[in-house]
Amino acid sequence: MPAMTELPGAGVTRRHFLEKAALLGGSAMVMTALNAWGAGIASMTSAPPALRGSGAGHKLLILGAGVAGMTAAYEMSKLGYQVTILEARAFGGGRCQTARKGFKLTELGGEEQECTFDEGLYLNHGPWRIPFCHRSTLHYTKTFGIPLEVLVNENDASYARFDTVKGPLAGKRVRQFEVRADMRGYTSELVAKAATSGKLDTGLAKDDVELFVEYLRGEGYLENDLSYRGTEGRGYKVNPGAGIDDPGPGVPSTPYAFPDLVQSKLWRMVQSVGTFDQQHTMFQPVGGMDRIAKGFEKHVGHLIKYNAEVERIRQSDGGVTVDYLDTKTGKRSTISADYCLCTIPVSVLRTIDADFSDAYKQAMGLLSYDPVCKIGLQMKRRFWEEDDAIYGGHVYTDAPGINLISLPSSGWQSAKGVLLGYYMFGADATDMSGNTPAERTAIALDVGQRIFPQYKENFENSFSASWHLIQYNLGGWGNWSAEARKVAYPVLNKPDRRIYLAGEHISYIGGWQAGAIESAWHQIAQIHQRVVA
Amino acid sequence: MRATLLVAALATGTFLTTAPALAQDVAKGQDLFNHKCAACHQKTGLGVKGAFPALAGDPFVVGDPEPVVRTVLQGRGGMPTFAALLSEDQLADIISYIRQAWGNSAPAVNTGFVVTVKTNAHPQDKAPTVTH
Repeated sequence: MPAMTELPGAGVTRRHFLEKAALLGGSAMVMTALNAWGAGIASMTSAPPALRGSGAGHKLLILGAGVAGMTAAYEMSKLGYQVTILEARAFGGGRCQTARKGFKLTELGGEEQECTFDEGLYLNHGPWRIPFCHRSTLHYTKTFGIPLEVLVNENDASYARFDTVKGPLAGKRVRQFEVRADMRGYTSELVAKAATSGKLDTGLAKDDVELFVEYLRGEGYLENDLSYRGTEGRGYKVNPGAGIDDPGPGVPSTPYAFPDLVQSKLWRMVQSVGTFDQQHTMFQPVGGMDRIAKGFEKHVGHLIKYNAEVERIRQSDGGVTVDYLDTKTGKRSTISADYCLCTIPVSVLRTIDADFSDAYKQAMGLLSYDPVCKIGLQMKRRFWEEDDAIYGGHVYTDAPGINLISLPSSGWQSAKGVLLGYYMFGADATDMSGNTPAERTAIALDVGQRIFPQYKENFENSFSASWHLIQYNLGGWGNWSAEARKVAYPVLNKPDRRIYLAGEHISYIGGWQAGAIESAWHQIAQIHQRVVA
Repeated sequence: MRATLLVAALATGTFLTTAPALAQDVAKGQDLFNHKCAACHQKTGLGVKGAFPALAGDPFVVGDPEPVVRTVLQGRGGMPTFAALLSEDQLADIISYIRQAWGNSAPAVNTGFVVTVKTNAHPQDKAPTVTH
C-alpha cells in the first residue's frame, strides 16, 4: 500500500504543498491509498431516510447544533419527537461559519480577533465548498431555498509558481494552462510516436492503434507528424484581436522545453480528472456558507438552548442525563431524555466527564483530528481580475505549508475582494497557528507577493482561524487511520446504550458537511427503529 | 550492526538512552518549541486545560524517552506527526528542552536516539489529509 505519508523525501511541506493530496503519486496511487484508508469520497445518499411511525412522547436530546445536530433535530421533530439541542456557542452551525464584519474569534491561548472586512465581504473559514456529488448537502440547500453560486475550483488561467525545484522554471510564475498543454502534449507525442513505430506494445490490433493515435493527436494537440509544438489553449504572447496586425491574429506562445517542465515538477498540477469531490460543478451558498446554518436554524432554532456547555453525561437504564452550564448566566442545569444524539467532535467529547463504556472511550481515543488553518486577506482592488484576467480558482505555490491561495468566486468585478491566503493542514498548520494574527498575515503576504506584485500594496486587513485552537472544535476534522477505521469506527457507529454519535467523523465523507448530514440521517434511523420496534 | 545493537538494547531496556546534556542544544530546542509546539502546549508548558496537555510536570514527558519521541514522530489524538517537518537533530533539541524546562528535570535525548526510535517505529499509520 503506498502510504503517502511515508514517501522518501516527501516532507509535510512537499506533501501538502498543493491542495490535492493526489498530486504526489498520480491519481491511481492516491485512490488506492484512499480506499485502503477507507476515505472513499462519494456521497451517494441523496435524501433523508423515509421513516414511518411517530416519535411522539419520546424525548431526544441532541448535543451540538452543528449541521449534524440540526439535521437530526429537523427530521426528528417532524416525526413528533420532543427535541432539545444544547449548543455551547451563541449561534448554530458548528464549523459551518462565515467570518464577516464584526465576527469575533479568540483562539485558545490567543488574542481576540474581530473581523473588519468591508460590508458584503466574507471568509468561509470552515467549510467552503459543496461538490456536485454531495447530494445530501444539496438536498437541504434546495429544501431551505438557499441560493447557490458556482465556486470556481479549477482555473487553468490561474498562476503557479514553484521555488523549491530545479531548472529554468524554478521561481517562475506560469499559467496553469501552459503546463497542462505542454505536459500532455509532449506525453501524447512520445506515446503516439512509440505506438506508430512499433516500439510500444499497446496490445491493440493494427486498426485500433490508428484509433488510439487519433485520440493522442486530439488529446495532445499534435501536428501531422505527431509532434507537439504548442497550442492556442496554452495562451498567446499577444492575444488575437481586430485589425491586420497589432494585434490582428496575435502572436502564439512557445511551449516550455520538455526537460525544463519535467524538472520543474509543475506537472504535479496535472491530472486526468480531479478527485470525485473536487470536480465541476462546485458550489457555494451566495453570501457565505453560514447561510446553510441559518437555513437550519430558521426551522429548528426554537429547539436550541444556546450558550449551553455540556459538563457531564450520565446514562441509566431509562435514559440519558446531561448537566450543562449556561456560560452567559453561570447557571447550571440538568436535562434528561430517552435518547441522546451526540454530535460534539470527539476531540472535545473525550475531555467531557461522561460514563461511556471503556470500549467506547478507547475507540474515541483512536480518532485523531487534523490541525487546519485558513486566512482571509481583504484586498482593496481585485487585481487578479483586473490585471491578470483570473476569475476565481486557486493559485499553487510550493511555499512551505501555504498549499494554495484561492481567489473569490463571488462579487465578480466589484471593487474589493477577500481571498484565501492559505489553507494549511497538519504540522504546518500547528506551526502557523503559533504565530499571532499579525505574524500570520505577514507570512501570507510574503508568499502572495511572490506571485502577485500587486499583493501587499492592495492589502487592507485579515482574519485567520486555526481550527485546532478553536474551543468546542479542537481540530478541523476527524482523521481515521486505517487501523482506527477498522477497530474504532464500527464501535462509534453503534450506540453506547442510549447515546448515538453523529458528525462528519461518523462517516466516510469526513470533513464535509455531507458527512455530518448523512451520519445524522443514519443514526436517527437507528434511533427511530428502536423506538417504534 | 550499530542499528542492530540499538534495537537489541532498546528491546531489553538496557541501552543508555540519554546523552550528556551538552550534546543537545536546549536553547535551540526552546526556540523551536516556541514556534512549532507552543500554539497548543503554550510557551509556559502548561497547555490548555481540557484541550492540550500540560508538559510542565508531566510524568510522561520526563519518563521513558522512547514513547515521548515516538509521540512527537507519529502524533497522537489531535497532535500531528512532526516526523517530516523536523529533522532528528531538531526533534532531539525540542525533546531535550521539554524534559528540562519549567522545572522538569530529566536527561536530554540525543539525535542518535531519535534516529533509532524513528527507525524502529511502526510504520506511521495516519491517513493522508484530503482536502475539503
